[in-house]
Amino acid sequence: MNDQNQPDEFADVNEVVEDEWESETTPYERIRHVVAHAYSPVSADAVADDALTTPKTARKHLETLAEEGFVETSPGEHGGTLYCRSPESLVVEQAADILEHVTTDELVTRVTEMRERLNEYRTEYGVDSPEELAVERTNQTLSESGSAGQEIDPETVREWKTLRRNLAFANAALSIGTAEQFVGEDDHSTDESIPA
Amino acid sequence: MEPLATARLDDYLDPAVLEVTLDDGLGEADSARIDIRWTTRGDYVFHYTDTEGVNLRWGKHPHGGEYRCVDGLEHYHPPPDASSDPDKVQDSCITQSSEALVTRAVLKLWRVAYHTDAYEPLNVGSNPP
Repeated sequence: MNDQNQPDEFADVNEVVEDEWESETTPYERIRHVVAHAYSPVSADAVADDALTTPKTARKHLETLAEEGFVETSPGEHGGTLYCRSPESLVVEQAADILEHVTTDELVTRVTEMRERLNEYRTEYGVDSPEELAVERTNQTLSESGSAGQEIDPETVREWKTLRRNLAFANAALSIGTAEQFVGEDDHSTDESIPA
Repeated sequence: MEPLATARLDDYLDPAVLEVTLDDGLGEADSARIDIRWTTRGDYVFHYTDTEGVNLRWGKHPHGGEYRCVDGLEHYHPPPDASSDPDKVQDSCITQSSEALVTRAVLKLWRVAYHTDAYEPLNVGSNPP
Protein backbone atom coordinates (compact mmCIF):
# COMPACT_ATOMS: atom_id res chain seq x y z
CA MET A 1 0.00 0.00 0.00
CA ASN A 2 1.17 3.46 -0.80
CA ASP A 3 -0.28 6.93 -0.38
CA GLN A 4 1.22 8.45 -3.46
CA ASN A 5 -0.52 8.30 -6.84
CA GLN A 6 -3.88 7.80 -5.19
CA PRO A 7 -6.42 6.96 -7.87
CA ASP A 8 -8.90 9.74 -8.57
CA GLU A 9 -12.45 9.42 -7.36
CA PHE A 10 -14.98 8.09 -9.82
CA ALA A 11 -18.68 7.26 -9.72
CA ASP A 12 -18.77 4.57 -12.40
CA VAL A 13 -15.74 2.69 -13.65
CA ASN A 14 -17.41 2.11 -17.04
CA GLU A 15 -17.88 5.82 -17.62
CA VAL A 16 -14.49 6.94 -16.39
CA VAL A 17 -12.60 4.51 -18.66
CA GLU A 18 -14.57 5.82 -21.63
CA ASP A 19 -13.74 9.42 -20.72
CA GLU A 20 -10.05 8.67 -20.29
CA TRP A 21 -9.78 6.61 -23.47
CA GLU A 22 -11.52 9.37 -25.39
CA SER A 23 -9.23 12.09 -24.04
CA GLU A 24 -6.01 10.10 -24.60
CA THR A 25 -6.67 8.96 -28.18
CA THR A 26 -7.89 10.36 -31.49
CA PRO A 27 -11.08 9.11 -33.18
CA TYR A 28 -8.89 7.50 -35.86
CA GLU A 29 -6.87 5.57 -33.27
CA ARG A 30 -10.01 4.30 -31.58
CA ILE A 31 -11.66 3.30 -34.84
CA ARG A 32 -8.51 1.45 -35.91
CA HIS A 33 -8.36 -0.32 -32.52
CA VAL A 34 -12.01 -1.39 -32.67
CA VAL A 35 -11.93 -2.66 -36.25
CA ALA A 36 -8.54 -4.35 -35.69
CA HIS A 37 -10.37 -6.82 -33.47
CA ALA A 38 -13.56 -7.07 -35.56
CA TYR A 39 -13.16 -10.66 -36.73
CA SER A 40 -16.67 -10.79 -38.15
CA PRO A 41 -18.35 -8.04 -40.20
CA VAL A 42 -19.87 -5.09 -38.32
CA SER A 43 -21.60 -1.88 -39.40
CA ALA A 44 -20.01 1.57 -39.29
CA ASP A 45 -22.62 2.49 -36.65
CA ALA A 46 -21.44 -0.35 -34.40
CA VAL A 47 -17.79 0.66 -34.86
CA ALA A 48 -18.71 4.30 -34.11
CA ASP A 49 -20.48 3.21 -30.92
CA ASP A 50 -17.47 1.25 -29.64
CA ALA A 51 -15.00 3.90 -30.79
CA LEU A 52 -16.91 6.73 -29.06
CA THR A 53 -17.33 8.71 -32.25
CA THR A 54 -19.99 9.51 -34.85
CA PRO A 55 -21.03 7.13 -37.66
CA LYS A 56 -19.89 9.75 -40.17
CA THR A 57 -16.35 9.89 -38.74
CA ALA A 58 -16.25 6.11 -38.42
CA ARG A 59 -17.30 5.64 -42.06
CA LYS A 60 -14.66 8.11 -43.28
CA HIS A 61 -11.78 6.39 -41.46
CA LEU A 62 -13.07 2.88 -42.24
CA GLU A 63 -13.06 3.72 -45.95
CA THR A 64 -9.43 4.88 -45.69
CA LEU A 65 -8.49 1.74 -43.74
CA ALA A 66 -10.23 -0.35 -46.41
CA GLU A 67 -8.21 1.34 -49.16
CA GLU A 68 -5.01 0.58 -47.23
CA GLY A 69 -6.00 -3.09 -46.95
CA PHE A 70 -6.34 -3.06 -43.16
CA VAL A 71 -10.10 -3.55 -43.39
CA GLU A 72 -12.30 -5.66 -45.66
CA THR A 73 -15.76 -4.56 -46.73
CA SER A 74 -18.82 -6.63 -47.56
CA PRO A 75 -22.39 -5.68 -48.51
CA GLY A 76 -24.80 -5.63 -45.57
CA GLU A 77 -28.57 -5.55 -45.45
CA HIS A 78 -30.49 -2.56 -46.85
CA GLY A 79 -27.57 -1.53 -49.09
CA GLY A 80 -25.24 -0.76 -46.18
CA THR A 81 -21.58 -1.71 -45.94
CA LEU A 82 -20.09 -4.00 -43.31
CA TYR A 83 -16.48 -3.86 -42.17
CA CYS A 84 -14.10 -6.39 -40.61
CA ARG A 85 -10.38 -6.79 -40.05
CA SER A 86 -8.77 -7.99 -43.27
CA PRO A 87 -7.46 -11.54 -42.67
CA GLU A 88 -4.56 -10.78 -45.01
CA SER A 89 -3.39 -7.79 -42.98
CA LEU A 90 -3.80 -9.81 -39.77
CA VAL A 91 -1.70 -12.69 -41.12
CA VAL A 92 1.05 -10.34 -42.30
CA GLU A 93 1.07 -8.49 -38.97
CA GLN A 94 1.21 -11.70 -36.92
CA ALA A 95 3.92 -13.19 -39.15
CA ALA A 96 6.09 -10.07 -38.83
CA ASP A 97 5.62 -10.14 -35.06
CA ILE A 98 6.63 -13.80 -34.86
CA LEU A 99 9.73 -13.23 -37.02
CA GLU A 100 10.82 -10.46 -34.66
CA HIS A 101 10.61 -12.69 -31.58
CA VAL A 102 11.38 -16.24 -32.70
CA THR A 103 14.43 -17.64 -34.52
CA THR A 104 13.96 -19.55 -37.78
CA ASP A 105 15.28 -22.76 -36.18
CA GLU A 106 12.79 -22.56 -33.36
CA LEU A 107 10.04 -21.72 -35.83
CA VAL A 108 10.79 -24.83 -37.92
CA THR A 109 10.80 -27.06 -34.82
CA ARG A 110 7.58 -25.63 -33.44
CA VAL A 111 5.72 -25.76 -36.78
CA THR A 112 6.55 -29.48 -37.01
CA GLU A 113 5.43 -30.04 -33.43
CA MET A 114 2.17 -28.11 -33.88
CA ARG A 115 1.43 -30.02 -37.09
CA GLU A 116 1.88 -33.29 -35.20
CA ARG A 117 -0.52 -32.13 -32.51
CA LEU A 118 -3.12 -31.24 -35.18
CA ASN A 119 -2.78 -34.77 -36.58
CA GLU A 120 -3.23 -36.20 -33.10
CA TYR A 121 -6.62 -34.46 -32.86
CA ARG A 122 -7.66 -36.03 -36.17
CA THR A 123 -6.55 -39.49 -35.06
CA GLU A 124 -8.01 -39.23 -31.58
CA TYR A 125 -11.47 -38.02 -32.63
CA GLY A 126 -11.65 -39.67 -36.06
CA VAL A 127 -12.70 -36.45 -37.84
CA ASP A 128 -10.78 -34.04 -40.06
CA SER A 129 -11.70 -30.70 -38.49
CA PRO A 130 -12.94 -29.07 -35.29
CA GLU A 131 -16.11 -28.10 -37.19
CA GLU A 132 -16.87 -31.79 -37.80
CA LEU A 133 -16.13 -32.45 -34.14
CA ALA A 134 -18.62 -29.75 -33.14
CA VAL A 135 -21.28 -31.40 -35.35
CA GLU A 136 -20.55 -34.76 -33.71
CA ARG A 137 -20.89 -33.16 -30.32
CA THR A 138 -24.31 -31.73 -31.23
CA ASN A 139 -25.46 -35.14 -32.46
CA GLN A 140 -24.14 -36.70 -29.28
CA THR A 141 -26.13 -34.24 -27.19
CA LEU A 142 -29.31 -34.73 -29.29
CA SER A 143 -29.24 -38.52 -29.09
CA GLU A 144 -28.13 -38.38 -25.45
CA SER A 145 -26.14 -41.53 -25.98
CA GLY A 146 -23.23 -40.18 -24.02
CA SER A 147 -22.28 -43.67 -22.94
CA ALA A 148 -21.42 -44.78 -26.48
CA GLY A 149 -18.15 -42.93 -26.88
CA GLN A 150 -16.14 -40.43 -24.92
CA GLU A 151 -17.97 -37.17 -24.37
CA ILE A 152 -16.72 -34.30 -26.51
CA ASP A 153 -15.79 -31.21 -24.56
CA PRO A 154 -16.50 -27.77 -26.14
CA GLU A 155 -13.08 -26.80 -24.79
CA THR A 156 -11.51 -29.41 -27.10
CA VAL A 157 -13.23 -27.87 -30.14
CA ARG A 158 -11.87 -24.48 -29.15
CA GLU A 159 -8.34 -25.73 -28.43
CA TRP A 160 -8.26 -27.47 -31.81
CA LYS A 161 -9.42 -24.30 -33.62
CA THR A 162 -6.88 -22.21 -31.69
CA LEU A 163 -4.02 -24.54 -32.55
CA ARG A 164 -5.03 -24.54 -36.23
CA ARG A 165 -5.14 -20.74 -36.27
CA ASN A 166 -1.79 -20.37 -34.51
CA LEU A 167 -0.18 -22.91 -36.83
CA ALA A 168 -1.46 -20.87 -39.79
CA PHE A 169 0.27 -17.75 -38.40
CA ALA A 170 3.49 -19.70 -37.73
CA ASN A 171 3.43 -21.17 -41.25
CA ALA A 172 2.97 -17.70 -42.73
CA ALA A 173 5.93 -16.43 -40.68
CA LEU A 174 8.08 -19.30 -41.92
CA SER A 175 7.15 -18.65 -45.57
CA ILE A 176 7.72 -14.91 -45.31
CA GLY A 177 11.03 -15.46 -43.50
CA THR A 178 12.20 -17.83 -46.22
CA ALA A 179 11.03 -15.54 -49.02
CA GLU A 180 12.87 -12.58 -47.48
CA GLN A 181 16.17 -14.44 -47.85
CA PHE A 182 15.79 -14.35 -51.61
CA VAL A 183 14.08 -11.01 -52.09
CA GLY A 184 15.34 -7.54 -51.41
CA GLU A 185 19.09 -7.77 -51.18
CA ASP A 186 20.69 -8.07 -54.57
CA ASP A 187 22.30 -11.37 -55.33
CA HIS A 188 25.85 -10.44 -56.47
CA SER A 189 27.04 -14.00 -57.05
CA THR A 190 26.00 -13.88 -60.72
CA ASP A 191 25.70 -11.18 -63.33
CA GLU A 192 22.20 -12.25 -64.29
CA SER A 193 19.44 -9.85 -63.60
CA ILE A 194 16.00 -11.03 -62.48
CA PRO A 195 12.73 -9.48 -63.59
CA ALA A 196 11.39 -7.36 -60.77
CA MET B 1 5.43 4.40 -6.93
CA GLU B 2 3.16 1.63 -8.07
CA PRO B 3 4.32 -1.94 -8.62
CA LEU B 4 5.89 -2.66 -11.96
CA ALA B 5 3.86 -4.79 -14.36
CA THR B 6 5.52 -7.08 -16.90
CA ALA B 7 3.49 -8.80 -19.62
CA ARG B 8 4.42 -11.98 -21.51
CA LEU B 9 2.62 -14.65 -23.51
CA ASP B 10 2.81 -18.18 -22.05
CA ASP B 11 3.88 -19.47 -25.49
CA TYR B 12 4.75 -17.01 -28.23
CA LEU B 13 3.70 -19.29 -31.11
CA ASP B 14 0.70 -21.03 -29.56
CA PRO B 15 -0.45 -18.64 -26.86
CA ALA B 16 -3.31 -19.36 -24.51
CA VAL B 17 -2.67 -16.77 -21.82
CA LEU B 18 -1.16 -13.30 -21.49
CA GLU B 19 0.54 -13.24 -18.08
CA VAL B 20 0.97 -9.87 -16.41
CA THR B 21 3.33 -10.17 -13.45
CA LEU B 22 2.99 -7.51 -10.74
CA ASP B 23 5.89 -6.70 -8.40
CA ASP B 24 3.51 -6.33 -5.48
CA GLY B 25 0.21 -7.94 -4.53
CA LEU B 26 -2.89 -6.95 -2.60
CA GLY B 27 -2.74 -7.13 1.19
CA GLU B 28 0.18 -9.19 2.49
CA ALA B 29 1.06 -10.68 -0.89
CA ASP B 30 4.64 -10.00 -2.09
CA SER B 31 3.79 -10.34 -5.76
CA ALA B 32 0.87 -11.20 -8.00
CA ARG B 33 -0.12 -12.10 -11.55
CA ILE B 34 -3.09 -11.32 -13.74
CA ASP B 35 -3.69 -13.97 -16.42
CA ILE B 36 -5.70 -12.76 -19.40
CA ARG B 37 -7.49 -14.82 -22.03
CA TRP B 38 -9.44 -13.14 -24.83
CA THR B 39 -11.19 -14.98 -27.67
CA THR B 40 -11.95 -13.90 -31.24
CA ARG B 41 -15.62 -13.77 -30.17
CA GLY B 42 -14.89 -11.20 -27.48
CA ASP B 43 -15.15 -13.58 -24.50
CA TYR B 44 -12.58 -12.88 -21.82
CA VAL B 45 -11.24 -13.73 -18.37
CA PHE B 46 -8.91 -11.66 -16.16
CA HIS B 47 -7.69 -13.91 -13.35
CA TYR B 48 -5.82 -12.45 -10.37
CA THR B 49 -3.61 -14.73 -8.26
CA ASP B 50 -0.99 -13.81 -5.65
CA THR B 51 1.68 -15.26 -3.34
CA GLU B 52 -0.82 -15.38 -0.45
CA GLY B 53 -2.95 -17.76 -2.52
CA VAL B 54 -5.74 -15.25 -3.08
CA ASN B 55 -7.58 -15.68 -6.38
CA LEU B 56 -10.38 -13.73 -8.06
CA ARG B 57 -11.60 -13.38 -11.62
CA TRP B 58 -13.60 -11.10 -13.89
CA GLY B 59 -15.09 -12.92 -16.85
CA LYS B 60 -17.39 -12.62 -19.82
CA HIS B 61 -18.40 -15.82 -21.58
CA PRO B 62 -21.50 -18.02 -21.95
CA HIS B 63 -22.20 -20.02 -18.77
CA GLY B 64 -25.48 -21.68 -19.75
CA GLY B 65 -27.34 -19.98 -16.88
CA GLU B 66 -25.18 -21.84 -14.39
CA TYR B 67 -24.31 -18.67 -12.49
CA ARG B 68 -27.86 -18.07 -11.32
CA CYS B 69 -27.16 -14.70 -9.68
CA VAL B 70 -25.70 -13.34 -12.92
CA ASP B 71 -27.96 -11.49 -15.39
CA GLY B 72 -25.77 -11.29 -18.46
CA LEU B 73 -22.48 -12.75 -19.56
CA GLU B 74 -20.25 -10.47 -17.46
CA HIS B 75 -19.54 -11.96 -14.04
CA TYR B 76 -17.14 -11.92 -11.11
CA HIS B 77 -15.65 -14.83 -9.19
CA PRO B 78 -14.95 -13.34 -5.74
CA PRO B 79 -11.89 -13.78 -3.55
CA PRO B 80 -10.33 -15.51 -1.75
CA ASP B 81 -10.72 -18.51 -4.06
CA ALA B 82 -12.34 -17.10 -7.25
CA SER B 83 -15.31 -19.27 -6.34
CA SER B 84 -17.32 -20.86 -9.15
CA ASP B 85 -20.12 -21.79 -6.74
CA PRO B 86 -23.31 -20.76 -8.64
CA ASP B 87 -24.50 -18.89 -5.53
CA LYS B 88 -21.27 -16.93 -5.15
CA VAL B 89 -20.55 -15.82 -8.70
CA GLN B 90 -21.86 -12.24 -9.03
CA ASP B 91 -22.62 -9.73 -11.74
CA SER B 92 -19.44 -7.96 -12.79
CA CYS B 93 -19.28 -4.21 -12.36
CA ILE B 94 -17.49 -4.08 -15.74
CA THR B 95 -20.03 -3.73 -18.54
CA GLN B 96 -17.78 -2.39 -21.29
CA SER B 97 -16.86 -4.87 -24.02
CA SER B 98 -13.92 -3.59 -26.04
CA GLU B 99 -10.37 -4.71 -25.22
CA ALA B 100 -9.15 -1.20 -24.48
CA LEU B 101 -11.98 -0.36 -22.08
CA VAL B 102 -12.18 -3.66 -20.18
CA THR B 103 -8.41 -3.60 -19.65
CA ARG B 104 -8.55 0.00 -18.42
CA ALA B 105 -11.41 -0.91 -16.07
CA VAL B 106 -9.51 -3.85 -14.56
CA LEU B 107 -6.45 -1.66 -14.05
CA LYS B 108 -8.56 1.05 -12.42
CA LEU B 109 -10.34 -1.34 -10.05
CA TRP B 110 -7.05 -3.01 -9.13
CA ARG B 111 -5.46 0.38 -8.35
CA VAL B 112 -8.27 1.36 -6.00
CA ALA B 113 -8.02 -2.02 -4.25
CA TYR B 114 -4.24 -1.62 -3.99
CA HIS B 115 -4.37 1.87 -2.52
CA THR B 116 -7.22 1.16 -0.11
CA ASP B 117 -5.76 -2.23 0.80
CA ALA B 118 -9.12 -3.96 0.38
CA TYR B 119 -10.74 -6.48 -1.97
CA GLU B 120 -14.22 -4.92 -2.00
CA PRO B 121 -13.44 -2.15 -4.54
CA LEU B 122 -12.58 -4.80 -7.14
CA ASN B 123 -16.24 -5.29 -7.99
CA VAL B 124 -17.89 -2.14 -6.72
CA GLY B 125 -17.20 -0.07 -9.81
CA SER B 126 -16.80 3.26 -8.07
CA ASN B 127 -14.22 5.08 -5.98
CA PRO B 128 -16.13 7.41 -3.65
CA PRO B 129 -14.38 10.27 -1.84
